[in-house]
Amino acid sequence: MTALILMRNKIFWRTIFLSPPLIVFSIFVLIPLINSFYYSFTNWNGFNSEYDFVGLENYTRIASDNLFQNSIFNTVIWLISAILIPTILGLLLALLIDSQVRGSNFFKSIFYLPICLSAVVVGQIWIWIYQQEWGLLNIIINLFRENSFEYAWLSKPETSLYSVIIAWSWQQTALSMVIFLAGLTSIPKNLLEASQIEGANIFQRTFFIVIPLLIPATIIVVALSMINSLKGFDILYIMTQGGPFHSSDTLAMHMYNESFKKYRMGYGSTISVVLFFIAVTIIGIYFRQLKKLDELYD
Amino acid sequence: MIDSKKFNKSYFTQSIWLTFIFICLIFLASIFVAPTIGVILSSLKTKREIAFGLLWTFPTKLYLENYSIIITDPAVHQYFINTIFVTVPATLGSIFLGTLSGYVFANLPFRGSNFIFLVIVSGMFFPPQVILVPLFRLFNWMNLLDTLWPMIIVHIAMGIPICTLLLRNFFTTIPNELYESARIDGANEWQILFRVFLPICLPALAVLGTLQFTWIWNDFLWPLIFTQSDDKRTIMLGLVSMKGQYSVAWGTQGALSVIASLPTLIVFLFFQRFFIKGMTMGAVKG
Repeated sequence: MTALILMRNKIFWRTIFLSPPLIVFSIFVLIPLINSFYYSFTNWNGFNSEYDFVGLENYTRIASDNLFQNSIFNTVIWLISAILIPTILGLLLALLIDSQVRGSNFFKSIFYLPICLSAVVVGQIWIWIYQQEWGLLNIIINLFRENSFEYAWLSKPETSLYSVIIAWSWQQTALSMVIFLAGLTSIPKNLLEASQIEGANIFQRTFFIVIPLLIPATIIVVALSMINSLKGFDILYIMTQGGPFHSSDTLAMHMYNESFKKYRMGYGSTISVVLFFIAVTIIGIYFRQLKKLDELYD
Repeated sequence: MIDSKKFNKSYFTQSIWLTFIFICLIFLASIFVAPTIGVILSSLKTKREIAFGLLWTFPTKLYLENYSIIITDPAVHQYFINTIFVTVPATLGSIFLGTLSGYVFANLPFRGSNFIFLVIVSGMFFPPQVILVPLFRLFNWMNLLDTLWPMIIVHIAMGIPICTLLLRNFFTTIPNELYESARIDGANEWQILFRVFLPICLPALAVLGTLQFTWIWNDFLWPLIFTQSDDKRTIMLGLVSMKGQYSVAWGTQGALSVIASLPTLIVFLFFQRFFIKGMTMGAVKG
């Protein structure tokens, strides 16, 4: 009888259901997150179980760490271009595909394809495109030149970061296109038909009706691109490892180098705390914008 | 009344526009598909051909040596086995745990459950690098470094946010009458979830299955941190470490890239609809 009552009890089932996911999530995500702050005040080296508290030393070190400032600078460039390129390109592709053109499903599949490729494979592909002697990019440039052009895009500090950004954007564009396409399907068709009857041409329709209605989708795309590019590490690791001469070091890359190459895990934690706060700021702005949009449409 | 002359004219300009758009798309699509084609082409070329700049040309004869090198390499077999041992349990595990928590947040809400839900979901957004060092220490302490366990566990834990979010959203669309009538019939929550709700949720489960499978299969960061010995590597890490072994054998690297991407490509081709739906749902409703 008591067992039967227990089975009907909501509190009992809540506990049974919620405990496993909460325990796993807490032990392997939440507590490590808090520990990250804790280690940022230590000088743990990754091997010894012993470590000392160094107070704010790691944080003052950030101020004098040229490589850190360099990586912040690169992260800003990375963020801005990784937002602009996929957003603009994704919007363009979504608008083109949505125009009742023939074979739109075929085009969609082609543009989606990079999403399902691993960063390792994408990096591999683009290393070959930038390759000095037989890379596709140099071959194409050579079609328009008399004397042969051999430029190692990834091993020159001037171009390494931007070359990786292009490769990254190639993959990320698909994601923003997906969201823009979803946004486009939510635009009422009769609105467009009405404007067509009123005599609006294709440009007027696109710029004065469609694009303004895509603002919610745009906010989502921009926020997601920012969050994703903060996470972006794999493709950098594959293509340049942050080099040459740290010219493509981002915050995530710098954190990895300090923690797992130089085994300064305490200092690495400090960098990851900075990374965390940047991410939190972005997420906060994103949620506030989403809330505003909700209010706007309700 | 629509002026037929005007209508014809607009029909004419429209078809010109569509042709123009079509040409634009063909152009952009060929730029977009070129990198992928390049890898496939490279896998069919000899070292010599690639060194002479012939990677990007259409192969004149079918050269499959690269594939046979990769397919007969026992290290590659090990990478594949490891990846499957990580991907399958991690995919199923994260979806299972997400089902449980998603059900509670949708059907058994309590005071503060919204807050807990928000905390879990925000786990989707922060960079995983933030917890790298603490996790490394944790698994070191648990003596699990250089096994497959850390990857399975971390992928399950990091998958909980998206699985919870999508399944909660899906569960809330199920009409409450179904839940009530099942309860009146004497079913307990466990039976309602697994006998009544989950069969309805198969599309959502397919969405999550394809997303999680692809992400975990393609992951590179966790195996990089948690494994040292070659026989514990997953395929993506193996791909990187084999670059040393086949340093100038670009064709062989290409063949390995193609083979390593095949499972996710197949999943993508067959479940593209689910995949895209998952990407939009995860993004828009976040």
